Amino acid sequence: MEDQKVIDLVKELVNRLLSQSQTPNPNQPISTNPNSSIDSTQFNHALRYAIRILSSRMTPSIASDEAAMAESIKRQLVTQGKSSEALTFADLYSKFASKTGPGSINNKWAVLYLLRVVSEDRKLANKQPNSTVSRGLPAIFDSQLSDNSRVSNDKEVGWSGGVLMVSKDPDNMRDIAFREFANLLKEESEVSEEVLVRDVLYACQGIDGTYVKFDEIIDGYALYDSIKVPRATRIMVQKLCELGWLFRKVKGYISESMDRFPAKDVGTVGQAFCAALQDELTEYYKLLAVLEAQAMNPIPLVPETVTSGNYLSLRRLSVWFAEPVVKMRLMAVLVDICKVLRGGAMAGAIHMHAQHGDPLVHDFMKRLLRRVCSPLFEMVRSWVLEGELEDVFSEFFVVGQPVKAESLWREGYRLHPGMLPSFISPSLAQRILRTGKSINFLRVCCEDRGWADAATEAAAAAGTTTGRGGLGYGETDALELLVDEAAKRIDKHLLDVIYNRYKFKDHCLAIKQYLLLGQGDFVQYLMDIVGPELSEPANTISTFKLAGLLETAIRSSNAQYDDRDILDRLRVKMMPHNTGDRGWDVFSLEYDARVPLDTVFTESVMSRYLRIFNFLWKLRRVEHALISAWKTMKPNCITSRSFIKLQQAVKVKLLSTLRQCQVLWDEMNHFVSNLQYYIMFEVLEVSWSTLSNEMEAAKDLDDLLAAHEKYLHSIVEKSLLGERSQGLYDTLFVLFDLILRFRSLADRLYEGIYEVQARSTDDKKKLSRQLSSRSTEPGSWVSEGRKALTQHATKFLSSMSQELDDIGKKYSSLLTGFISELPVQQHIDLKFLLFRLDFTEFYSQSRPNT
Amino acid sequence: MDSEAARNSKESLDLAFEMSNILDTGLDRHTISILIALSDLGFNPEALAALVKELPTFYSSSSSSSTVSSS
Repeated sequence: MEDQKVIDLVKELVNRLLSQSQTPNPNQPISTNPNSSIDSTQFNHALRYAIRILSSRMTPSIASDEAAMAESIKRQLVTQGKSSEALTFADLYSKFASKTGPGSINNKWAVLYLLRVVSEDRKLANKQPNSTVSRGLPAIFDSQLSDNSRVSNDKEVGWSGGVLMVSKDPDNMRDIAFREFANLLKEESEVSEEVLVRDVLYACQGIDGTYVKFDEIIDGYALYDSIKVPRATRIMVQKLCELGWLFRKVKGYISESMDRFPAKDVGTVGQAFCAALQDELTEYYKLLAVLEAQAMNPIPLVPETVTSGNYLSLRRLSVWFAEPVVKMRLMAVLVDICKVLRGGAMAGAIHMHAQHGDPLVHDFMKRLLRRVCSPLFEMVRSWVLEGELEDVFSEFFVVGQPVKAESLWREGYRLHPGMLPSFISPSLAQRILRTGKSINFLRVCCEDRGWADAATEAAAAAGTTTGRGGLGYGETDALELLVDEAAKRIDKHLLDVIYNRYKFKDHCLAIKQYLLLGQGDFVQYLMDIVGPELSEPANTISTFKLAGLLETAIRSSNAQYDDRDILDRLRVKMMPHNTGDRGWDVFSLEYDARVPLDTVFTESVMSRYLRIFNFLWKLRRVEHALISAWKTMKPNCITSRSFIKLQQAVKVKLLSTLRQCQVLWDEMNHFVSNLQYYIMFEVLEVSWSTLSNEMEAAKDLDDLLAAHEKYLHSIVEKSLLGERSQGLYDTLFVLFDLILRFRSLADRLYEGIYEVQARSTDDKKKLSRQLSSRSTEPGSWVSEGRKALTQHATKFLSSMSQELDDIGKKYSSLLTGFISELPVQQHIDLKFLLFRLDFTEFYSQSRPNT
Repeated sequence: MDSEAARNSKESLDLAFEMSNILDTGLDRHTISILIALSDLGFNPEALAALVKELPTFYSSSSSSSTVSSS
């Protein structure tokens, strides 16, 4: 039916056109044939011809774009100078194009094209009757052709796309041209492009194709040199196979890691990296699958067969590969870097490469990093919230080692800077370390379970849960927030536990009271009681007895009101002694700080306390000695009563000796009491108040440790126990020894005086008795006794005074030496000591060079 | 429906005729209608244009050849 209609239409058309030719045409010779009817054979000829033309060209040679067609027609009209007609045409076209629906023309473009071509033909026919032109690019051809026609009218040869026309047949010229081109192409290459494309696709999956194989020498995929292909194709194939080389590298790394995994050489981060790479490769495989499907379609060489579906040529392939090549290159670079790294270092290195401006690269790296860092973030989370360190492959930047409970805080855990990824700052890492350490400390040393609540609170406050997941790369802020919250709460909890449950402050105060001799009355009693014991040689003293004496001292002083727990920890310690040591040298007190407080009061700390105790104890002893010497030196009736019986000289000597003794005692007392004051108040109390303030302000155990360290250090430095004050310290001890000698000397002196006194009293008594018995006898015998007494007294006194002199001189020289060295000390507080000691500048005046 | 279709087609034809007049194709209304029908059916407009160009000359050449052959 349709065909019949078509035939009818064609017949009609032929009829009309033929009859049209009968109409008078100015360029044609006026036909003398008047017949208006058409011959049937001619009609049949014409009909057959028409049908042949119609069936030969099935597709137009230019793209069907209606609007473009209308535009070009308009332009044509304008260039021909008919602009008003162009406007009319535009108007008509717009109306024409708006006609849609039943009864309208569907193929409007075809109509426009048709009209245009016909009008051009007419123009050409009017200008040049004998033109043999084939259509193709009408716009350009018009002007060219009109020029040519003007130049030479008889030329038979026309233009047609640069390909020589071999046959005069106008219809098939283009077909012939394309066939020639195809033949040329086929001659050039042995291998068809489709085969090459398929080979390239194989190469991009790491498989050798028929013609494209992996060449070990050049380390890449290439076509064999023996295959004849045009150079352009060869180069293009090589470029495309770069993707194959990259793919091989990445896949090689993945399979290598998978092989090494059982040997525990690849950590969790490495595994995550491989998994992420494999995901990317899956995407890549999907793309390759689509491309392979397309590669099945034959590549058309002639434009007429363009509707054969999406085909794949080498050029199209290079366009498709543009994006995958970028991604694959990135992956290959990362693979190169991560070959030797692991754990946090790997994550850090990959992070450095993610600092890229290109959004494609940025997104890709972000995706990759999310996967890679998830084991790390998981480790951080479990460390910070639970104190668990599950790190089989040692990839975490917190390293733990098994230690005793008391050194858990200081040495149990530390940072491993090599494994610290670069997106976690060192201060954040410190906080992370401290938080986990605190949880472990609480769990192990304090046997406390309350931290779990603190941890859940922290997690809730930070918006994540204590379960797995929840944090990923790119959320470093969230991680910081979580760590901060956890650190805050757990630190507070830890300090609460230390202060309240373990009464850290009380213990610290107790140490100060007892070890640093803060509890004055207790120390006094102790010294009174223990003093005589300690004068014995060291190896005869029993610790048990001393412990009993300690207990007595405690009970008789205010110390008895202290907490029983604290008092229990105080005990006597005898240091290891050599022969010849007295008790004084080896006696010391000890405070037993148990877990967890021994984190603060470690062995070394306690030994420092011990040193300070020894020094203070010696100082106290000297003070005690001087005070007891004063007790004997108090002026009393025995000494102040004038010795009637003694000669004047002796009396004078006695008085001067006594005076000497007093003066020396005064000096020594002045020195000792000022030193004592300085140590007690300016060193100990000041440091203690600083420590108290810092303890209030401490936010975590590290702060507390630092504060205590500072406290001890300042005490040691200021009381001349530091290394720099070694010389002074020695001088001080010599001075102490001198003072003790003086004390014994003073004792002896007064003993002697009492003895003399007693003897003289005795004599007096005897005398009085004798006088009472023989009152008249003159005292020649008495005078004899008196003389002996005087002699004895004189001898005794002179020796005493000499010794006193001796001591006095030594003492002065040492003291001046000591004082002269004080200003050059580093510590500023020692200047206060100097000021007190040399208040009246007595000593500095006595020095010759000041 | 039909009237609308008929109106549409008539108007389209008029427009096409006027456009062809502007372009000076020398085609009359009836021929244009046939050509439109054929192109709507799917024939290549290039082929139709070739027909329009060749047929009149074909007749003259064939008529001359036929007169030659006839004589």
